[in-house]
Amino acid sequence: MLRGAWFSSPMGALVRKEFLETWRDKRALWMAVSFSLIFPVMLFAFTTYMVKQSTEEPTRMAFLGGDRVPLLAERLSDDQFQVEVLSEGKPRELLESGYDLVLELSEDFVEDYVSLRSAKVYLYLDSADIASGRAQGRLQERLGKLQQLVVSQRLSARGVAQQLLSPWNLQVRDVSTPSSRGAIILAAVPGLLILTLFVASLATSVDTSAGERERLSLETLLLQPLPGWQLVAAKVLAVASMGWMGALLALAALVSLMPMMPLAELGIQQAATVGSALGMGLLLLPLALLVAVVQILLALRSNSFKDAQTQLSILQIAPAMLLVVLDVSGVQLESGVWQLVPLVAQQQWLKALLVGDPISLPLVLAGSLVSLLMAVFAVALGARALRRERLLNTG
Amino acid sequence: MIEVNAVSKDFGGRKILRDLSFTVPDGRITALLGANGAGKTTCLRIIGGLLRADSGDVRLGGIDVGRDPMAARRQLGVVGDREGLYERLTVAEYLSLFATIQGLSGGVRDKALQAVREELELDDLWHRRTRGFSQGERMKVSLARAMVHQPQHLILDEPTRGLDVLAARLLRKTLLQLRDRGTTILFSSHVMSEVSELSDQVLVMSAGRIVGGGTPAELLAQTGCGNLEDTFVTLAYGTAGGQKEGAPAC
Repeated sequence: MLRGAWFSSPMGALVRKEFLETWRDKRALWMAVSFSLIFPVMLFAFTTYMVKQSTEEPTRMAFLGGDRVPLLAERLSDDQFQVEVLSEGKPRELLESGYDLVLELSEDFVEDYVSLRSAKVYLYLDSADIASGRAQGRLQERLGKLQQLVVSQRLSARGVAQQLLSPWNLQVRDVSTPSSRGAIILAAVPGLLILTLFVASLATSVDTSAGERERLSLETLLLQPLPGWQLVAAKVLAVASMGWMGALLALAALVSLMPMMPLAELGIQQAATVGSALGMGLLLLPLALLVAVVQILLALRSNSFKDAQTQLSILQIAPAMLLVVLDVSGVQLESGVWQLVPLVAQQQWLKALLVGDPISLPLVLAGSLVSLLMAVFAVALGARALRRERLLNTG
Repeated sequence: MIEVNAVSKDFGGRKILRDLSFTVPDGRITALLGANGAGKTTCLRIIGGLLRADSGDVRLGGIDVGRDPMAARRQLGVVGDREGLYERLTVAEYLSLFATIQGLSGGVRDKALQAVREELELDDLWHRRTRGFSQGERMKVSLARAMVHQPQHLILDEPTRGLDVLAARLLRKTLLQLRDRGTTILFSSHVMSEVSELSDQVLVMSAGRIVGGGTPAELLAQTGCGNLEDTFVTLAYGTAGGQKEGAPAC
């Protein structure tokens, strides 16, 4: 009843008009939905690829002439490094048939080895193949260890202490964990969600401002007995609804895809639940309003529809870059003041919710209020902009 | 009544309107004639409150447009030089929007919508979105939007431009009916036959000023010309068409 009465008011009718126009614009809707779904799907593909990369895929090596050195073939071989001894074959064909490497002993290898001469071993690989390159590293590591063993045995047999040949013993310890690699992926999510919001509302904001101006239908609206702030506010609500829908869609897709992502293999405990996703959606609402009004203001300032598209395309790169720079530069954002800065605040809150960290409710309320107040201020600026005579193409 | 009092307007240092003054009486159709660039559209936009006059004032039914544009716009319907339709709304949604914005609601709004639907023969278009409408259909919807709240004052900027015979006829019929109901109508046009047929009063503008005014018969008598076209050319350009300077006008 109350809802119906509101829609019967001039402001209600205006809001309804803007929503109908926005949600019936198939081109804008298609753009918003596509971008919103692309980023979670890309994230899904990237995590899957990362896990595949980090998982030890066994190397297959053909060992031509390995039957003459069975101990060497046995020492090289383990679960991750499968050695198949062949008496004959052509290295190129073997590589093409699926082997990562082909190791071939020279004809007089055994004779040279026994005579303590440097016996020749030939390694064939396809450097264009990533797996082949990785396999080469693995083989060299294994051969290096065996070579060191043989050298030390030979020196011991001649009464030389092997320590003489090893002034130091370097041991490398990689402290990176799957979890820290996964954290990099998750750190990108808030920025991408915010970028989704910008992209999803772009087409609508240009259409409702620069588009209306170019079609001269804005003039018809300006001739109505409505204050300028109502005209801008109705447009902002409609544009924000599209941006917010994009961000919510991306969130929903992310939460739906997360159970299928190999997060456990990356050491990430899935913290984003439906509840936290809802929280993230709510946190993005004030930002959606602010982004919408800024986009409309910029589009109204531009000279044409095309000009507005160009300006806004640049605008949506700027915040994404800002967030990346803040992340990369390692600026400490622990101070509460940062949570009053739009964009930075939302990024911090989303990051925290994503990994299950707590966020301060008073700071969230204060930060959201700042975003809303800035949106209200921008609406007032927009109302002033509507009074500019240049808007009417007076030439 | 529309009163324009000593209105001047510059754009980038170029004088568009110079001390422009005229009156459009109630229940009359007044045509505003002028060559391209004479300042007609600027004048109509100042009357609608879209542009502000650098000096002078405009009153609609006694309301100063510059001081109280909202009140003035409630008494005003405007059909601009482009239709200003929303292509993703149906005709019903479009007209309902503007009726509501003008303060109509409930049964009053429904009656107003039904009235313009019948008067402008919009039955076939009523539930269609306006994308792909012909020029005549667009003009009908635009006129319906301007008159749905039954304003006392109606302004039309070259309303018959691009219309076919039937649409132009319907427009003329509607304007005459509105005049008979007491509506104050001001329209700009280049079509002399239409001006002759519709106008009770003609105002001729040139270089931002009114250079002639009166009933069509009065203007003919004033210039000594045999038709309105020659009268207009004489008043607006000083000579009748291609005639040399100093030659008799008509």
